[in-house]
Amino acid sequence: MMRALRCAPMIVALVLQAPGDRSVPLDQLESRVTADPDDLRAANEYRMTVIAEKAYDRALDFFKKLTDDHPESANAHLNYGFAYVDKIPAAGAIGQVILANSALTEFTRSLERRPSWVGYYTRGVSYLYWPKIFNRWPLGVADLETALKMQRADRRHAYHVRTFVALGDAYWLMDDPAKARAAWRTGLKEFPDSAPLKQRLAAKPPDLKKLMNDTYDPARRVDTNLTELWTS
Amino acid sequence: MDVVTGLRPAAVLAACAVLAAAPAPPPATIAFEEIGARAGVALRHHTRAFQGPYADVLAMFTSGGAAVAVGDYDNDGREDVFLTDSAEGASSHLLHNDGNLRFTDVTAAAGVGGGNDSRAIVSDAIWFDYDNDGWPDLLVARFGTPLLYHNERNGRFTDVTAQSGLQAFGNTIAAIAFDYDRDGKLDLLFGNYFKPVSLFDLADPHVLPTDLDNASNGGGVTLWHNLGGGRFENATARAGLAGHTGWTLDVGHGDLNDDGWPDVYVASDYGTDRLFFNNRDGTFTDVTQKAIGFDTKKGMNVDIADYDGDGRLDVYVTNITDEYMRECNMLWHNNGDGTFTDVARETGTCETGWGWAAKFADVDNDGWMDLFVVNGLRSAGPENYIPSVLEMILRPGVDFSDLRSWPPIGNKTWSGYQRKRLFRNVRGTAFSDVAAQAHVDNDRDGRGIGLGDFDNDGRIDWIQTNADQPAMLYHNVTRAPGHWLELQLKGTTSNRDAIGARVTVETPSRRIVREVNGGNGYASRSSTRVHVGLGAETSVRSIVVRWPNGTSEHVSAPIDRITTIREGDGR
Repeated sequence: MMRALRCAPMIVALVLQAPGDRSVPLDQLESRVTADPDDLRAANEYRMTVIAEKAYDRALDFFKKLTDDHPESANAHLNYGFAYVDKIPAAGAIGQVILANSALTEFTRSLERRPSWVGYYTRGVSYLYWPKIFNRWPLGVADLETALKMQRADRRHAYHVRTFVALGDAYWLMDDPAKARAAWRTGLKEFPDSAPLKQRLAAKPPDLKKLMNDTYDPARRVDTNLTELWTS
Repeated sequence: MDVVTGLRPAAVLAACAVLAAAPAPPPATIAFEEIGARAGVALRHHTRAFQGPYADVLAMFTSGGAAVAVGDYDNDGREDVFLTDSAEGASSHLLHNDGNLRFTDVTAAAGVGGGNDSRAIVSDAIWFDYDNDGWPDLLVARFGTPLLYHNERNGRFTDVTAQSGLQAFGNTIAAIAFDYDRDGKLDLLFGNYFKPVSLFDLADPHVLPTDLDNASNGGGVTLWHNLGGGRFENATARAGLAGHTGWTLDVGHGDLNDDGWPDVYVASDYGTDRLFFNNRDGTFTDVTQKAIGFDTKKGMNVDIADYDGDGRLDVYVTNITDEYMRECNMLWHNNGDGTFTDVARETGTCETGWGWAAKFADVDNDGWMDLFVVNGLRSAGPENYIPSVLEMILRPGVDFSDLRSWPPIGNKTWSGYQRKRLFRNVRGTAFSDVAAQAHVDNDRDGRGIGLGDFDNDGRIDWIQTNADQPAMLYHNVTRAPGHWLELQLKGTTSNRDAIGARVTVETPSRRIVREVNGGNGYASRSSTRVHVGLGAETSVRSIVVRWPNGTSEHVSAPIDRITTIREGDGR
């Protein structure tokens, strides 16, 4: 991600296109991503267009080839993982499990190549979508705590509030409401306007349970649009 | 109200209009008592045990088979019960209703206990009067060839399968009787789970679904056209039903587009359900894509009734909604234009665990169809089978169709110990779960539900069958129920069981539509007696019966009584 952000001036023309803008053909977007496999913005625009056109399998084929050709590109693997996530709502219950697991594999490969806040945050949140019985929530907590450490070492970005929200959610899922509230409260101190944090802190337990069920419902489309990374 | 979010505006307006006109219902307290042992119906079902290297997995995939068929086989005015068993050598049971909620096992004298041999597994059963002689005959479905028993009118039955033409092999898990071509003779529709291979001598272990969301290598359905004279012919391809090759778990019929002809809903495991509209010429058209869309769920059950009082039949399908799989059931609201909208979430009927049978019934006689749902796959030891399944699913290159891919289940539990649900219909707009208060929230591994008014008191009772566990009889002891009427329809030019007949009851405040079905609901064949709750109403304005052959007539019947109506006796 960081490399992509440093390259931002070079790809400024791309951001003039709204994510998911179908006016740019997929093959053209693929060419842009192929030209710089680590370019998060180009890949993000490609994926948003893929979602709009429901061309999920095409994207998976594309990112497979991209990671085969550029195995050391952390962001190529990250986007490959997102491409799996993007297809989840279009799959059946069993297919969703397989896609979600494949996404985790790619997120891990991305982190192995270059640890990043977005990598840890993404993988951490992904673990939270798994049912409790599969015992992946502790892994999500570990990743989100790592993301929190990384953002504290970085200058503050608006999107860093997401870590507090997700980490609190993870604690809540793991039956530690006190720790969850502490995480949300800490986040609210740093981001006093955060609606998700206010919502969680104000919610009564039954409403919170419903909120968690809704938030981590694997059948719902997860917003994988990364635009916030370079607009906030 | 949130509960109606998602309903189409027209449906909401219609429901509101009904609510505005209706008086307040009586304050019934829904309650049941489980009297299976006392009544003599608590007979234990046994799933089939297999031999050889695939024994464990095959047993897991064939753990249905606990079915119930309710019908008055001896025409004494009391509903009798047939319960299936599935173990090799085990007898199914014909239970005669002696009155006073006591049943006597008359299987041996009747001669209908067979079917579980080394080559076949009993899986379902229905009563239907195939020869229109006025005496219900018995069809026993099997993983194998079916058995057809003719009712000899003296408490005995004769196996007439050999001359029936029904001997084709199939792994049949569901059966319904209906007159799809309106020729006055009841036809049969079988739902088949596996493709037609014998599970007892498998040369090739690739017999399971190739895909767990979109499998098309199952047994599909088989339509048997009743030729008369006790003979049937396979009409599946001719009728346009051969294209469905999914893993059928249940089939249901009802006139879903109000044209007077029975349509067919097919619930499929591991892939999309199918809806077929009747073309009125002996064929069907697959309208799935337009009417309901394709799904990837694990369809288990079809029941059909008008839950919201708009006069159109709706469809309820159970799926798997558990901690590890959030499919949600489907309550298909009939939009009246050939399309349906799933309102399970909005009505509160989405989550019932690993669902099996579900049956609509007005248990408090308030005029609204309540819904009882049974669930639970396998209640065994403390270890959970799901992590083992996950490991298999995530194995790179795994072949789901290969019996060898699936881990042995041993004594592990899989979606077991699940509480049953009784959804009380809140005047057609939503449902609330009253199972615990009504004392029906048992945690057995439920399979079938056989509805019937076993003590003829105007309150619907039911039998719940369970895999590897005894059957249960829930006696309805609801306090302060509404008024009611029950109609036993007898066809004359239509099929004698009047399966497919539609009854419309007009009260001063409501219009209530009910339809007779021939076995809707997984492992379930309920009474064909039409039960109508009337709430506080003490009179009805009119009763119209549209017989299966299409003719309609006005009939009369006193309230709070059971009345026999013969086709042609009305006006």
